[in-house]
Amino acid sequence: MASDAVWWKVAWRNLLRNRGRTLITASGLAFGYLSAVVIVGLTDGIVAELIENGTRLMMGQVQVHSPEYRPERNMHHTVGGYDGVDLEALLARIESDPDVTAAAPRLYGGGLLSSGEETRAGLLFGIDVDREQRVGTLLSQLSEGRLPEAGQYEILVGLEMARQLGLEIGAEVVVVVGASDGSMGNDLFTLVGVFETGTPAIDANYAVLPLPDLQYLMAMDPGRVHEIALTVTRARDTPLIASSLAANLEGSDYAVEVTPWTELRPELAEMLGLMDAVNYFIAAIIFGMAIFGVANTMLIGTFERRREFAVVRALGTSPMGVGRTVVYEGVILGTISLIAGALITWPIVVWWHNSPPDLTSLIGGFSMVGSQWRPILRIEYSYDTPVICAVALFLTAVFAAVYPAWKATRVPPADALADR
Amino acid sequence: MDRVSRSRLLRVSLTTAAALLLSAAAAAPLTAQTAREIIDKVDRMMRGESSHGRMTVDITTEHWSRSLDMEVWSLGAEHSLVRVESPAREAGTATLFAGDEVWNYLPRVDRTIKVPPALMMGSWMGSHLTNDDIVKESRIVDDYDFEISFEGEVDGVEVYEFTMTPRPEAPVVWGRVEEQVRKHDLMPTWVRYYDDEGTLVRTMTFSDYKMMSGRLVPAVFHIIPADKPEEKTSMTYHELEFDIDLDESFFSLRTLRARR
Repeated sequence: MASDAVWWKVAWRNLLRNRGRTLITASGLAFGYLSAVVIVGLTDGIVAELIENGTRLMMGQVQVHSPEYRPERNMHHTVGGYDGVDLEALLARIESDPDVTAAAPRLYGGGLLSSGEETRAGLLFGIDVDREQRVGTLLSQLSEGRLPEAGQYEILVGLEMARQLGLEIGAEVVVVVGASDGSMGNDLFTLVGVFETGTPAIDANYAVLPLPDLQYLMAMDPGRVHEIALTVTRARDTPLIASSLAANLEGSDYAVEVTPWTELRPELAEMLGLMDAVNYFIAAIIFGMAIFGVANTMLIGTFERRREFAVVRALGTSPMGVGRTVVYEGVILGTISLIAGALITWPIVVWWHNSPPDLTSLIGGFSMVGSQWRPILRIEYSYDTPVICAVALFLTAVFAAVYPAWKATRVPPADALADR
Repeated sequence: MDRVSRSRLLRVSLTTAAALLLSAAAAAPLTAQTAREIIDKVDRMMRGESSHGRMTVDITTEHWSRSLDMEVWSLGAEHSLVRVESPAREAGTATLFAGDEVWNYLPRVDRTIKVPPALMMGSWMGSHLTNDDIVKESRIVDDYDFEISFEGEVDGVEVYEFTMTPRPEAPVVWGRVEEQVRKHDLMPTWVRYYDDEGTLVRTMTFSDYKMMSGRLVPAVFHIIPADKPEEKTSMTYHELEFDIDLDESFFSLRTLRARR
């Protein structure tokens, strides 16, 4: 063991011998660490933005429906069937689950909105104004006006729909909707607000009105809703929370289907899986490039020390002992680089996280897999990324030392000393 | 090159075949009329130059059923107006079909609304007909090529059966339409609508043929969607008069919203 400490010492002294070279190699690794953490953080930021916009705006993280409702979304398949449910009791039961943070009932109707000469097809979204605000961010995105009140025939529409119908706050809107009895429910509503989500499909097609008003228009009882959307404590564990909630809700008079967002938006979930894979790929490329740089430097270092290796070999050191000191050099180099990398990465990530560069003025927002993305280059804090990158950096340094170490073991003492 | 000449050859032989078929049809004594002429004639007999009548529309779906009494006016193939008389809750609701446009009048809010293009494929009054069906119905002679696919006796009645295939540029939703017409009085018995894959989508049947204002017409139509055979829309004419005094100015938004 004592001899081992000697080899560590030798490795350390070797690194100190050519400080410039050690510094440059360590800097390369440290910057590799920085770029890996920042790039992975940025993709995590995009992912987080997509999940938030994909789930927080309207979807919620879990949805409860009648088992027959999806995917056709037939208006007759309300939760609990034609008779509907005791809505307050069901909501209370769902909210009694400790993992559920909020629940909001919803009713959907397909219909027409008309004002003056203009008529457009629209999706009518009936909501409980108070509860909806706890689940989705839609109602917080009013660009104008205020929220509707139930029983007052008040309605919200998206910015693009308002533009197409030529609507201003206070305008009268004729709403026509296919009702559950086959008739065309129709009534006059007053536009009290306009929302702007930035997602074109929503801003152009959705009209929001209080649940009781839409139920009345669609000739449905107050207990009839299509959907209950929930938010949960841990978005990552949504599938688990959804299945435990489904088990809790079993044994009601009616069957329900509980669906996590990963199933509601499988393309989003898949995209996130892909992003994770891309992260590993990026890290692999960065450290893959680093490994050759470091190996090259260390290889030169071992060639310079051919004579030294030959001397210690001639004095009776085993080839493994010589190789070990080169690997130890890699370990020490990795540790130094890691400390340096962490020191430069930490403040940059904190700064970036707190004031992400907003490129909105340059490129505007756009949609990706149906989810709005704002061009704000935010970095997400993550527990695993810095750790994974640290392990990768350390392994890079060690693996980079393996080939030079092997070369060192092959130094023939006699030839090297004879300068042959 | 080979491909081009082969396709031309194919086209030439098809044309020859078509010509042969046509001359064969012309030679047969009972098919002196072309398919197109027969269909056109059937169409005119059913519609008249103008018409006015009363009908009951019974709609049965998986989830609800209802019955509406309606008054109907039509002029040529392009104009018609339908107004609901009962039930009281929907009385006054009216639809105007004028060319490609469909307008609804909603008495509760006292507004006329033009059905936007996106909803032309939507159901008309909850029935198994879409607005588009009713608008396009008037152009069947222009949009389709006709051929007599069967001629002979079915259940003791001499019939023609026609197959209508849409012309390449025609803006139609069906891949193929088949119609059976009785030979002796040119009354239609059924029409079958197929999609592009050749799957039956719905069947319209005609029955209760009777004289109304001097014309023989089927007084009852049934429309049955193939994927939901338990659903049905039935239209029963109670009164129907033809060639009445109506002109285009009647089919206006003003008439549409005139409360009765």
